Amino acid sequence: MKTRHLRLTACAVALGLAAMPLAAQELRIGVASEPSSADPHFHNVGPNNQLRRNVFESLVGTDETQALLPELAESWRPLDDSSWEFKLRPGVKFSDGSDFDAYDVIYSVCRIPGVPDSPSLFTTYTKAIAGFEVPDPLTLVIKTDGPYPLLPTEVSTWGVISAKANGVDGASIQFSPDGCGDLAYPATQAFNDGSAAIGTGPFLMESFRRGEGVTLVRNPDYWGEPAPWEKVEMKPLTSAGPRVAALFAGDVDMIENPPLQDLDRIKGQDDLLAVQGISNRVIYIHLDHAQEPSPMITGTDGKNPLKDIRVREALSIAINRDAIVDRIMGGVAVAAGELLPGGMFGAHADGDMPPPGFDADRAKALLTEAGYPNGFGITIGTPNDRYINDAQVAQAVAQMWSRIGITTEIDASTASTFFSRRNAHEFSAYLAGWGSGTGEMSSPLKALLATPDKSRGYGGTNRGQYSNTAMDDLLTQALATVDDAKRQELLREASRVAMADWAIIPLHFEVTPWAMKKSLSYTPRVDQYTLPYDVRPAQ
Amino acid sequence: MSAPATNPPVRADRLPLIAGLLAVAAVLALGLAPQWASLPARLLLLVLSVFFAARLLKGRMKQFFNGPAAWFAAASLLVLVIVALFAPELSPQNPYDLAQLDIMDGRLEPGGTNFDGSMTYHLGTDEQGRDILSGILYGLRVSLMVAIVATMAAMAIGVVVGIYAAWAGGRVETILMRLVDLQLSFPSILVALMLMAAFGRGLDKVIIALIVVQWAYYARTVRGTALSEARKEYIDAARGLGLSSRRILFRHLLPNCIPPLVVISTVQVANTIVLESSLSFLGVGVPITRPSLGLLIANGYDYMLSGQYWMSMYPGVALLAIVASINLVGDRLRDVLNPRLRR
Repeated sequence: MKTRHLRLTACAVALGLAAMPLAAQELRIGVASEPSSADPHFHNVGPNNQLRRNVFESLVGTDETQALLPELAESWRPLDDSSWEFKLRPGVKFSDGSDFDAYDVIYSVCRIPGVPDSPSLFTTYTKAIAGFEVPDPLTLVIKTDGPYPLLPTEVSTWGVISAKANGVDGASIQFSPDGCGDLAYPATQAFNDGSAAIGTGPFLMESFRRGEGVTLVRNPDYWGEPAPWEKVEMKPLTSAGPRVAALFAGDVDMIENPPLQDLDRIKGQDDLLAVQGISNRVIYIHLDHAQEPSPMITGTDGKNPLKDIRVREALSIAINRDAIVDRIMGGVAVAAGELLPGGMFGAHADGDMPPPGFDADRAKALLTEAGYPNGFGITIGTPNDRYINDAQVAQAVAQMWSRIGITTEIDASTASTFFSRRNAHEFSAYLAGWGSGTGEMSSPLKALLATPDKSRGYGGTNRGQYSNTAMDDLLTQALATVDDAKRQELLREASRVAMADWAIIPLHFEVTPWAMKKSLSYTPRVDQYTLPYDVRPAQ
Repeated sequence: MSAPATNPPVRADRLPLIAGLLAVAAVLALGLAPQWASLPARLLLLVLSVFFAARLLKGRMKQFFNGPAAWFAAASLLVLVIVALFAPELSPQNPYDLAQLDIMDGRLEPGGTNFDGSMTYHLGTDEQGRDILSGILYGLRVSLMVAIVATMAAMAIGVVVGIYAAWAGGRVETILMRLVDLQLSFPSILVALMLMAAFGRGLDKVIIALIVVQWAYYARTVRGTALSEARKEYIDAARGLGLSSRRILFRHLLPNCIPPLVVISTVQVANTIVLESSLSFLGVGVPITRPSLGLLIANGYDYMLSGQYWMSMYPGVALLAIVASINLVGDRLRDVLNPRLRR
């Protein structure tokens, strides 16, 4: 797979270089949101991770469908139930000229928990690491407590920095999960001003300025194919209108997330094109499974009707998902029947788990059967600035629920207000979204539907407090199964159990669009990242 | 006409006017509870408002309608008030009843029809399938109702504070007026935004926020007028008769402070409509299932560049019409009621 990737890359680069004059090897991208820092370990959030991938690499990379690819590690395999062996790529150099080896990985893991003032640490993805062994500098064995199949996925989420460049002798590091003793680490500011931005990636960071953007230049000593661009500028253009205007005016060559309503206009231009691809983010409505009376339900004499599976089914099949996709999302979304798009790890193959069919008559019959022939009143909480057309989608759902006799109101507020109210269980039903960080079904199941249990990290975003021991058991079993085929089957089973219980109402998967000049091409990524290395001159 | 002697002070015979004003405010407040707003109640309200306007202009009708602009403004204001009052009877759809909307009719062009052709959307639909024409009629109603109720309440508070400050004088006056200065030193949209962020959405909350940002205008105006009126002979005469302070304040002083208040409140109603629309446009005003004009404009705003102009444009035109006609009428009222401008 990798060789094919490389061959394609080489092909594209050769053709690209032949077709374009050297002076044109500059790419300007209008990005929708700005990284908060250039420090690869400072903030675990989309824009930062996107920037990180240009400069700092991980042991394992991910392709556009979030499948794992060799990056700094050429191969990996489980040795036994509690250790994974990574064979590292020889001949990789950091941009200061020092060699990359296993100790740099250990140094990076040591730094991650202690980054000062971090708004969200990467420890989620390193806490499974119990220890390291280094048989030789290019072989790294990672120890875990018990079977841990997600390890290769998790090491793909954080970047590796150089120990030597920061004056640390890697071989002397004494690693323990609680700390590595007194090591010197670069400060976050040193990454922002560029002095510590020493990585192995395809680009070098020339400058990082808040509000103005990031400038990257090609890393001439990159171990893979050199990047197709001599210089890349990533300008933050956070409001959609000006972003599109900048593309039309030729101020940028490519933009992230053109607004849906402008896609037709972009496609109508001779020199522009738009590409779009399904993302790993599902938009769902979560229901209150626990509180009685539920805070925003009226007309039931204090009963919580959402505890009745018939009511939950009625609510789900009353929604015409195709109409929402067509009318509200302008066709740029895919109706959802579970929490991860078909074909991704742990999701069913396309068509095996279709979205629930729209059937208002059956929904009404189910309500009558459950003892609510006249419906009841409910309020849907929704953010109005977080997801694509979020409040409009909630309004459309309210319309469809009202048609089966459930008087539905909308409580829309700005994201920060919405999330704090949601976390305080103020809503009986709320609309939100979840992107699978690991690209597999365990991520949404664990976060949204597993019985909340802080010590295991289960149900962190399960604000409807759904609880189903059968599903919990399947999930726990899957999370301890290293064999990919078996784990995949267990995850599918867990998803089927939850969906058969109408535990949550999946609405649709967001589709991420990009717009660019016709002279460029880009393969849409499910993780929604815009990676200049993969932007190619089109042929 | 500059000597005060030829411009005799008014007395308690203006009281019916105040009562009328309060009635208007009260019935409009009932608009918050729609089950009270039956057809007869709304008809009564219309008659009351027209009666009030006629009383206000008694003997000055000719002066008011001195040009085509005044005719035009008064007529369009009357039409807009009538369509807002009788929106349920006039509009083809109840845009607040989600069960009447059909998402499959979303973003239809003006003149489009629904699936079985039983309904024509003369001004098109927004993305939820909401008829823009019905949305405008109901939106006008919300915008007008919020603005009038908030203005009346702010005026009541402002009048009491202002007249009391003028009467009491000394430290009380200083404290109250510095409070007014403080309030006026903040831009009203900013204060309203902060309040709405704290309260959350809802019609009642919008009204409270609008009252908070407006009462100070009235307090300052009333105090100014009251100070100059209080030095006139008829107040001295009332004092000499040994009347109680309250009686002098509310039966003698207050009626003479009314004309500037009428002028300010008319202009202020227009400002309040704009302010409410701004709040709703910014997503902190009325609930999204009960759109006002500002929210309708915001809903369609995203589609402006893609050529689906009707979602924002027609509500925008309606907003422009109502604000412009109120301002024109307010302007004429000022000319008519201000003795200094009289020829």
